[in-house]
Amino acid sequence: MPAILEVDNLVKKYGDFEAVKGISFSVEEGEVFGLLGPNGAGKTQTISMLTGVIPPTSGTARIGGYDIHKDQSQVKKITGLVPQDLALYPTLSARTNLNFFGRIYGLHGKQLKERVDDVLRVVSLTDRADGVVDKFSGGMKRRVNIAAGLVHQPRLLFLDEPTVGVDPQSRNHIFESVQRLNRERGMSVVYTSHYMEEVETLCNRAAIVDSGRIIALDTIKNLIALLGGGVVYVGVKQVDDAILAELSALPAVKEAILVPQPPAPPAPEGKEHTTEVKPVTATPVIKIVAKNNQQAVVNVLGYLNEHDIVITSLEIMQPNLESVFLHLTGKKLRE
Amino acid sequence: MKTISIALKDLQILFKDRGALFQLFILPLLFIMVFTGALGAIGSSGKSEVVTLPTLGVVSLDYGEAAAFLLSKIKEDGSFLVQSLSATDVQSQLDENKVVAVLTIPLGFTEGIQQSTPVTLVIAPGKNSDPQIVEAARLVIESIAADMTLESQIISSLKQMGDMQATAPEQYQVFSTERVLAQARSQFVTAQARPLINIVQTVPQQAEQQAVTPDLSLSAVPGFTVLFVFLAGQTTARSIYEEKKIGSFRRLVAAPINKAQLLLGKILPNFVIALIQIAVIFAFGAFGLRLLGMTPLPIEKAPVGALLVAILLALCSSAFGILIASIAKTENQIAGLSTLLLWGMGLLGGSLVPLFILERFIGPLAMIVPHYWANKALDDLLIRGLGLADIWLSLVMLGVFTLIFFAIGLWRFDFER
Repeated sequence: MPAILEVDNLVKKYGDFEAVKGISFSVEEGEVFGLLGPNGAGKTQTISMLTGVIPPTSGTARIGGYDIHKDQSQVKKITGLVPQDLALYPTLSARTNLNFFGRIYGLHGKQLKERVDDVLRVVSLTDRADGVVDKFSGGMKRRVNIAAGLVHQPRLLFLDEPTVGVDPQSRNHIFESVQRLNRERGMSVVYTSHYMEEVETLCNRAAIVDSGRIIALDTIKNLIALLGGGVVYVGVKQVDDAILAELSALPAVKEAILVPQPPAPPAPEGKEHTTEVKPVTATPVIKIVAKNNQQAVVNVLGYLNEHDIVITSLEIMQPNLESVFLHLTGKKLRE
Repeated sequence: MKTISIALKDLQILFKDRGALFQLFILPLLFIMVFTGALGAIGSSGKSEVVTLPTLGVVSLDYGEAAAFLLSKIKEDGSFLVQSLSATDVQSQLDENKVVAVLTIPLGFTEGIQQSTPVTLVIAPGKNSDPQIVEAARLVIESIAADMTLESQIISSLKQMGDMQATAPEQYQVFSTERVLAQARSQFVTAQARPLINIVQTVPQQAEQQAVTPDLSLSAVPGFTVLFVFLAGQTTARSIYEEKKIGSFRRLVAAPINKAQLLLGKILPNFVIALIQIAVIFAFGAFGLRLLGMTPLPIEKAPVGALLVAILLALCSSAFGILIASIAKTENQIAGLSTLLLWGMGLLGGSLVPLFILERFIGPLAMIVPHYWANKALDDLLIRGLGLADIWLSLVMLGVFTLIFFAIGLWRFDFER
C-alpha cells in the first residue's frame, strides 16, 4: 500500500518550549492510524501542522504526494479536519452548517446538496438535518462536527479527539461511522485520542506520543505484546536487589523491577528542612512484567509468602495500550 | 465566492441575534430621539411660536456721543436685539450662533464724526448666519450711518459758515438763503459720494457656505450615526473571537481558503451592516424626526456626498473591528477595549457633543480620532450645506485611518490561536 501521509521530523517550538520534538511516522492509504497520548502530548499540534493551521518550526510532511509547505492548497483539498472543539455555528441548522463548510471547499449546487445529504446519512442525522445545532445533544453535535469534516470527501481525515464528552451510544455511532467510511470508501484516517480502548477498537496501527515525542509505534497487537502477558504491581514492606533477581527468575515472570518512589514533598515555604526528615511513607512497589499474568501472580505471591515478605497492595493489569503507556512512561494516559 | 459564503453565514448568524440587532439599529434611534429632543430644546431656532428678533452683537471701543447715538438708533430701528459684547466674546458668540453678526465701533469714532474725518465700522457675520439677516443688519447700519454723515457734514458746514460770518459781519449778504441751500445740497451729494462712515463687512471663515439657520438638534443624527457605526465594528471582533472560541476558525484555516479571503469574509458583514445602519439612521433622521415633530435631517442636500462618507465610514469601522480582534484576546478585552476606545473616541470626535462646541474646549485634539473627520464631513454636508469639494480633507483622513487600522490589524492578527 502506498503511503497517504509521510511525516518527517516535525518540530513545533513556542519560544523555548518545544511542543513537538521531531515526530516522524507514515500512514498507508486506507489505514486507520491512531495517535495515542495524554492531553498535552503534542497530538493536536501535530495535526494542526499537517492540516496547515499552524506552520511547523522545522521538518516536513507529504500528504497524497503533496508537500505541506509547497502545495498547501492541494493538501487542504484532500484532507479533512474534525477538531476537538465543536467547531459549528450553534444558532444555525445542521444542514446550514454543512452547506457552509461545503461551499468553503468549493462545492455548490446539486453536488453540494448530494454531498450534504450523503454525510448526514453517514452520521445518521438525516431526520434532524434542519434542527438547530444548539438544541442537539452532545453526541449529535459531535456527529455533525464529523460530518462537516467529511462533506468534501477528503482522502485523509484527521479526527482529533472526536468523542470527548459524548455518551456511550453516541460514541458507538461515531465508531461505526469511522469504520464505515474506512471500509466502504477506503478513507484513510488519523485518529487521536487519549482513550486507549478507542484506538484499540478502530486503529490498525498506532503511535504512542508523550511530551512531544513518539515513544512507540507499531500495530496495536505488537504494542500490546511489549507487555507480554500483562503487568502486576505488588506493594511490599521490604525489598532488595536479591529479591528482585529471584522474582525475575520465577516461571511466567519476564522481569521484576522496583517502581521508582516519588520524591519527598518539598518543605513548606519559609520552613527549612530539619535533620528529622520524615521518610516517604509509601511502601516499595515491585513491577512484574509477566509472560502469563495468571501464572505470574500465583508464583510471585507464593514466593513472597514463602519469604515472609508482607504484601501491602496488589494490582493486576491486563495487557492493553493503557498498561503499555504506563509501562513506557510511568504515567497513566488520563493523569 | 468563499469570501461571500463567510460573509453570508455571518450575516445569517447576526440576524438571529436579537440583542445585536437592537444594539445596531434600535439603540441609535433611541439615542437620537432623546438627544435631538434635548438639543432642540437648547438650541433650536425654528420651532418656537414666539417671533424672536435676531441679535446683533456690538463691540464698542468708543464711548463718545456718536457711538452712543449710533447704538440708540439701531435699537430704535427695532429690527434687531442689540447685545453689547467684549472683543474676546465675539468668536464664541458667532460660533454658537447667539448673534447673527457683530458690529465693531472703532476707537475715535465720535471724534472722527465730529471732525468730519472718515471712520470705519466693521460688520462680522457668523459663519452659520443667514446672509439675508446679515444684509438687513448692514442696511440698517448703513442707513443710520448715512444720516449721521449728512447730519455731521451739514452741521459742520453751517458751523463753518457761521464762523465766517462772525469774522466778517459786513459781508452778511454772502450768506444768502440761496447760498446756504446750495451749500447744503453740495454736502448732501458729498455725503453720498464720500460717506463719512465707511462700512466694511468681513467675510466669514467659510464664505462659500450656504445660509442655514443653525440647529443644534441636527448634529445629533450625524453624531450618533458615527458613534454607532464604529460601535458596530466590535461585531467583527466578536465574530472572530467566537469563531476562535468554538474552533470553527481553525477549521476555516484548515480549508483551502487563503487568509486574505478569510479576513475579507469576516469584514464584509460589518461593512454591509454599517451601510444598512447608516441608511436606517438617516432615513429615521429625515422622515422619523419629521413625524415626531422634530427638526429633520436635510439628507436631500447632499445625497451623493453622504453616500461617499457612509462608505468610508463603514470601511473605517470594519478595519477598526479587525484592529480590535487582533489586539483583544478575550471576550472581556473586546468589551473593555470597545467601550473604552469607541465611546472615548466618540466623545473626543464630536459624536456626543456638537463639534463647534467641543472644539472650543479641546481644540485640535479632536482631530486625532476618525470620528472627528466623519462628524465633520457629515456636519459640513448636511448642516452647513457645503459641497463634496469642501470635505475632501475629511474623506482623505477617513481613508488614512482605515488604512492604518487595517495595516495594524493585519500585522497583529493571530491566525494560529
